[in-house]
Amino acid sequence: MKLMDDLKKFFTLLTDEIYYSGQYLRRRRGVYPGEILHQLYAMGYRSFPIVCLITFLVGITISLTSAAQLKLFGADIYLADLIGIAMIKELVPLMTGIMLAGKIGASITAEISTMKVMEEIDALKTMGVVPEKFLMVPRLIAITLVIPLLVALADSVGILGGMLVAKLTLGTPPAGFIREILQVVFVQDFLIGLGKTMVFGWAVVVSAGFKGFFIERGAEEVGIATTESVVLSISLIIVLDCVFAFVLY
Amino acid sequence: MDIIRVKSLDIGYGASVILKNLSFEIPRGEVTVVSGESGSGKSSLLKTLAGLIPPLSGEMYLAGERVDFFSEKSLRLLYQKIGVLYQNSAMLNSMTLYENVSLPIRMHHPDFPRQKEAELVRAMLSRVGLQGGLDKYPFELSGGMRKRAALARAMVLDPEIVFCDEPSAGLDPITSAGLDELLLDLKVKHGMTFVVITHELRSIARIADRVLVLKDAAINFAGRYQDAIAARDPYLRAFFLREADHDH
Repeated sequence: MKLMDDLKKFFTLLTDEIYYSGQYLRRRRGVYPGEILHQLYAMGYRSFPIVCLITFLVGITISLTSAAQLKLFGADIYLADLIGIAMIKELVPLMTGIMLAGKIGASITAEISTMKVMEEIDALKTMGVVPEKFLMVPRLIAITLVIPLLVALADSVGILGGMLVAKLTLGTPPAGFIREILQVVFVQDFLIGLGKTMVFGWAVVVSAGFKGFFIERGAEEVGIATTESVVLSISLIIVLDCVFAFVLY
Repeated sequence: MDIIRVKSLDIGYGASVILKNLSFEIPRGEVTVVSGESGSGKSSLLKTLAGLIPPLSGEMYLAGERVDFFSEKSLRLLYQKIGVLYQNSAMLNSMTLYENVSLPIRMHHPDFPRQKEAELVRAMLSRVGLQGGLDKYPFELSGGMRKRAALARAMVLDPEIVFCDEPSAGLDPITSAGLDELLLDLKVKHGMTFVVITHELRSIARIADRVLVLKDAAINFAGRYQDAIAARDPYLRAFFLREADHDH
């Protein structure tokens, strides 16, 4: 019963956010001026270092693991193909989504649930402001603008990690590594990765809002809601990734 | 003339009824205090009057217009006519004092000239005794200053009525008395109507023109404050004069 109730609330919030975002893009009303810039800073600037670090390390790890196996078959050069495709189509979207869940999703839930406990959400309502629009639309627009940059950077850094390992362990020259990647990775692969990350980013923001807006008790629930938000976001990302895998391959 | 008229209102959440069959009027230009013991339903009543929770049944009229709690349009009209001062001030912590007070203007009148907006915000803050510190964040202000700023925000669109939920909560007696003086000043000088939820007897004695006492899910008394303290009803005597312990 509670699961059905939660699902209903989640999908109601999701459809509301689609409607409010469209309404804002048409009429530019209901969001505090400057809030989107503030969110761009909060989401983008603060997420770049950790996303880059993690994808760089994942690039290194995958390369090291794969290089050892490929070397056995004399297929060293295919490391570039593997890294290029794996990073761009799968690992960068997945790792970026998970990082966003921990970094952005947790902070959105903590902020909104605290606002609810402190009656700030009620205050917004009685000021005639729709909280679900006022608080969520700037975050959804900001994440939509941030993700392409984040993905491009994470792809580059992840491939750089792989290239470094290829040079150090297999002696593959960087120019050859890049040339090999360019033969197997196309713009549409980048767009698939970007599209997946975009959907994961939206899932993170909506899940975070869902957990923030619907807390029922008091301050003690803020921590629980924040943890649940991260768990829900990561679970949703994995489920969506699985759906993408079925659809795309 | 009455600004609010309530008829046979039942308030609650789902199957749980907190207040039953309430009927009362709130006159314009006066301070009406809603009081009662903890858990008597004061805050739920305020939330219903402010359009935050729909009543289970009954009718409410604001300035003669019936409020439809399930119509977005009707609620939007209600929100334009009321201001609410919350117990925790409910200032948005991510925004400066100026941004908080200007928020209702920007949301309701996005094309309002910025110059006029600044003048209005300064005038409103000055009205509640706050000058300067416009760039400060709420967490940099004292509790009393936050309450005053929240009152300025509640009044910035010139509402017909301002609801105050436990305005003295968390304030020292001097700051609390200062806030009461401010409400009285706004009532006298600007003809504002206030509905104040409180059980602070000193505060009630200072500000109340009328009182509405809640007990056992219903209205125990509604009338002039002077009549309430002169009443022979043992519960009212115990509540207002603390003449005897009252076991309820």
